[in-house]
Amino acid sequence: MPDDNLSQKAKAGKARKGAAPRKNGALGGEVALITSALDEFAAGKYRGRIDVARIKDPGLKAIAAGINRSAAHAETLMGESASRIQAVSQGVDEAIEAMVRLVVQGDLSGTLRLGVSDAALTPLIAGVGQVMETLKRFVTEIREAALQLSTSAAEVLAAATQNESSTSQQASAIHETTATMEELKGASHQIAENAQMVASIAEQTLAATRQGEGSIKAFMDSMEKVRKNAVEVDDAISKLSRRVERIGTVVEVIDEIADRSDLLALNAALEGAKAGEAGRGFSIVAAEMRRLAENVMESTKEIKNLITEIREATHAAKEASDGNKHMAAEGEKLGGAAITSVNGILSGTQETSDAARVIHLATQQQRTATEQVVQSMSEIEEVTRQAQAGSRQATGAASELTNLAERLADLVKRFKVD
Amino acid sequence: MSETTTEILLFQVGARVYAAGVRDVRRIGNPSDAKAEDRLVSGSVLGDPFSPDRGIVVACDDGNDRTLVVDHVIGVRFVPQGDVRPLPPLAAHCLVSAAVTGYALLDDLPTLLIDLPTLVREQRPGSAAGPERKERNDA
Repeated sequence: MPDDNLSQKAKAGKARKGAAPRKNGALGGEVALITSALDEFAAGKYRGRIDVARIKDPGLKAIAAGINRSAAHAETLMGESASRIQAVSQGVDEAIEAMVRLVVQGDLSGTLRLGVSDAALTPLIAGVGQVMETLKRFVTEIREAALQLSTSAAEVLAAATQNESSTSQQASAIHETTATMEELKGASHQIAENAQMVASIAEQTLAATRQGEGSIKAFMDSMEKVRKNAVEVDDAISKLSRRVERIGTVVEVIDEIADRSDLLALNAALEGAKAGEAGRGFSIVAAEMRRLAENVMESTKEIKNLITEIREATHAAKEASDGNKHMAAEGEKLGGAAITSVNGILSGTQETSDAARVIHLATQQQRTATEQVVQSMSEIEEVTRQAQAGSRQATGAASELTNLAERLADLVKRFKVD
Repeated sequence: MSETTTEILLFQVGARVYAAGVRDVRRIGNPSDAKAEDRLVSGSVLGDPFSPDRGIVVACDDGNDRTLVVDHVIGVRFVPQGDVRPLPPLAAHCLVSAAVTGYALLDDLPTLLIDLPTLVREQRPGSAAGPERKERNDA
């Protein structure tokens, strides 16, 4: 269809070149017509057509017809291109809308379906679908991760809470342990002092026991001397007893003689008396003799009494001596038993003294170790306090993490993937 | 001039002291030394001796000697005859034994005077008389 504009422009071009010759003028008009059409085409206007009927020149006419065909073809192509551009723009708009809907609504459940179908949109649709699939996979993974994160955060919170509680209990236990260790330190100090005192007493006991051992040995020596002396006294008493018996025999003889003398004197006095006055002097002499005999008998009686007393005393001395011997033997036996006991006591005391020294040393080491433990416990307590503060912070962080995980889970829930 | 005296023998039986004429006494000995013919009179009206320490050998009318066992023979005393007195008749009458013939004042204290031959002849029934009892037992 001829374009009026092209005719007008061709007329304007013919006027501009008005000075061309007539033969050339007609040809020029036709060329101008074609040029004008080409200018229009160059300006992107493909609707106009060259009026082929107005061109006489066959060559130009063919050119104009070819130009018109090209313009028609170009116009067709342009129309098609515009349609495609429109379809592609619509597809792009739909894709953008779908993406916006995805972002706004989080709905990734469906697939991207566009109202237009153009091959040029296929990569875009594939890309958007791939993006959606990727997002869907990401969302799914994020959801799972958020779920796991929420679970883990809950577990971390529980663990942190438990840890905080345990740390608190641990801190309390450590505090009590520290206090106990302080008391133990005091007790260790007391024990060390007591052990030292026990060691000192054991040493004194050992010295006293050794002294006692010496005293018992001296006592046993004395007992042996007492026993020997008792034996000697016993021998002396036996000799004394034999001498006394001998004296008694002699005294009996003397007494017998005195008794006979008394009888003789008595009978002499009797005979003197029978002789009357003549025998008076004889009687007096006899009486004097009798008095002497009686004195002798009195003396022998006293001697007998003394001998009896000596016998009784000797008997008592003998019994006492026997008792001394017996007691000395018992004393030696008891001394032996005492020595055995004292040796046992010495051994036991020595062991006690050694044990007390060892205990003293051990308690000193224990005291040092306890002090070190107290120091360590104080440090542990400080560390535990720090751990307790850290645990509280961890609990707070875990709580925040739980909240964040819940928020993340809520956010992820907004995306539909199924 | 000296006063006439009587010789008496003082002896003790039990707790009491008696006196006897020395002429009635043959000798003085030990009871353990008494021979078989010296019949022991260990008990009499004077009582039993506490500790028969001495024996007074008395010559009897039958020609045998008897030994009066006493506790102690004190000795011989020469006593003035005035101090040797017979028993009062009432006392003599009251006494059962005829052996007590009187008393002698010794230091102003009366001591019974014993007739030894009569005493040993009167020996108390049931009293021990060693040889005599032995003879009886033998009979």
